[in-house]
Amino acid sequence: MDTILSLINVSKNYGPIKALNNVSFDVPEGSVFGILGPNGSGKTTMLSIILDILKPNSGGFSWFGEYGGSPESRKQIGSLLETPNFYHYLSAVDNLNITQAISGRGTKKDIDEVLEIVNLTHRKRSKFSTYSLGMKQRLAIAAALLGTPKVLVLDEPANGLDPEGIAEIRKLIKQLADRGVTIIMASHLLDEVEKVCTHVAILKKGTLLTAGNVDEVLVNEDIIEIASSNMEALKTAFENYKGVTNLKLDGKTVHLFFPAGTADIEEVNRFCFQQGITLNHLTMKRKSLETKFFELTNN
Amino acid sequence: MQSLIKIEWLKIKKYPAFWWMLVIVALTYPGINYMFHHVYESVINRKDMAGNVAKFLLGNPFSFPDAWHSVAYFSSFFVIVPALLIIMLVSNEYTYKTNRQNIIDGWSRSQFIHAKMIDVFIISFIVTLSFTIVAAVFGFYYSDAVRVTRWAEELQYIPLFFLQTFAQLSWAFLLAYLIKRAFIALGIFVFYSLIIENIAKTYFKFKEWNAREFFPFEISNRLLPMPNFLGKIDAASNEAYKKTLVEINWHILYTLILTSAIWWLCYAINKKRDL
Repeated sequence: MDTILSLINVSKNYGPIKALNNVSFDVPEGSVFGILGPNGSGKTTMLSIILDILKPNSGGFSWFGEYGGSPESRKQIGSLLETPNFYHYLSAVDNLNITQAISGRGTKKDIDEVLEIVNLTHRKRSKFSTYSLGMKQRLAIAAALLGTPKVLVLDEPANGLDPEGIAEIRKLIKQLADRGVTIIMASHLLDEVEKVCTHVAILKKGTLLTAGNVDEVLVNEDIIEIASSNMEALKTAFENYKGVTNLKLDGKTVHLFFPAGTADIEEVNRFCFQQGITLNHLTMKRKSLETKFFELTNN
Repeated sequence: MQSLIKIEWLKIKKYPAFWWMLVIVALTYPGINYMFHHVYESVINRKDMAGNVAKFLLGNPFSFPDAWHSVAYFSSFFVIVPALLIIMLVSNEYTYKTNRQNIIDGWSRSQFIHAKMIDVFIISFIVTLSFTIVAAVFGFYYSDAVRVTRWAEELQYIPLFFLQTFAQLSWAFLLAYLIKRAFIALGIFVFYSLIIENIAKTYFKFKEWNAREFFPFEISNRLLPMPNFLGKIDAASNEAYKKTLVEINWHILYTLILTSAIWWLCYAINKKRDL
């Protein structure tokens, strides 16, 4: 797979504050790339830099293999950055006419089409200033989709949308990804990201904590959850169990941590049986993105 | 280039303030000239000797070919009206964050400044067109059979009016571009151009210092010097007037240099700064 976007040691300071600190990663073609991080972690700063809105203090990036990007490369990228930015006194159609004229993406017919996709057809002649927050966001998504760009950069695309709107966006992202569009998406809605992303990068205070394939980032540990009537005995029994890297008593269950791919649930059951412990609970857990996220960002 | 003009026109033509500006220009340009014409008439219509003398000496500054110069001079007082529009067009881009969106959508940073220069050009052109129509109407209306044949003399005041407007609107643009807030930019523009510079010029004159003609607005103000209404009466002022007419050529050069510097600065800043 080709690399669509590379960040190379990007740093950005706002005075003494390091908004981004030496961030490097690659976005492969056709991926749905989630950028996660708590508020103020540098997600929007990073997206602004790759769209030439902010200048990095050091480091750089390349789009489609071209270092530093260019207006031509930006024309192939549909972007929604931070807030919907439109002329308040113009209608949806007029605003998209400007988007179309600048980017060269799409035609008049495509404008109607994208407005239909985001359910704004009935208000397409109304001024932007009369729109609700959710409608503004929908228009911004329409502008990003115009002319089906090769790459989408979406900063919190679900912002201001109702649950139905969020579900529609998720569906839309999946459809576009199936058609081979590369999607770079910043979000703090973790289960949204988990549902659609193939890759993630996690930022905290401007530092990249981890980046890569979702399965690799999330599943670096296997967890087996067990419980019995005598929890203390259970805990003691597993203290020296082969392969356990960590053991936690978590309320009414004990969590056994194994290196990724090494946990054997049958073996655990057999071991308990041999020790004379009867389990009333035994499951294999995959760490949720949320757990992983808190783990990474709270340390 | 054509595409930039098309895009800027999309932004301007549906902007209500643009049409308000046109209405205000359409009212103030004839208004101020009519007012001064009224003053002129009340002087020459005096039945006494002074009235007759005045009529003989003054001629009619609103007939051809003087109309081009007189109307340009009086109309140029109202540069504040298009300046307000320019300031709003720029600060809108900041308020709506469309200055970012335009770049995100695929303009280069210098294309954004090109586009704004086109705005200033379009507005200057429209304002100059309004002035030309008003001057032509006044000229044809107040010229007698002899004077009307001289309509094509002194047409240079049309490009001079355009240049002055473009130069002064470029200042308005620079202020709005740097300050980002419409009202503060407008306040500084009005306060400086109408008050500070005049006080400074008066002080320089009082101190008998040179270089009065090099104040930012004075450089382009001297493209349209005050018409010589009383020239035939006072030989000394007639001489001085002829000198100011010759100096227009130098001020064309100064204005071009200063205005280029303003735009060069905008390009340089926009290339580097965070949007």
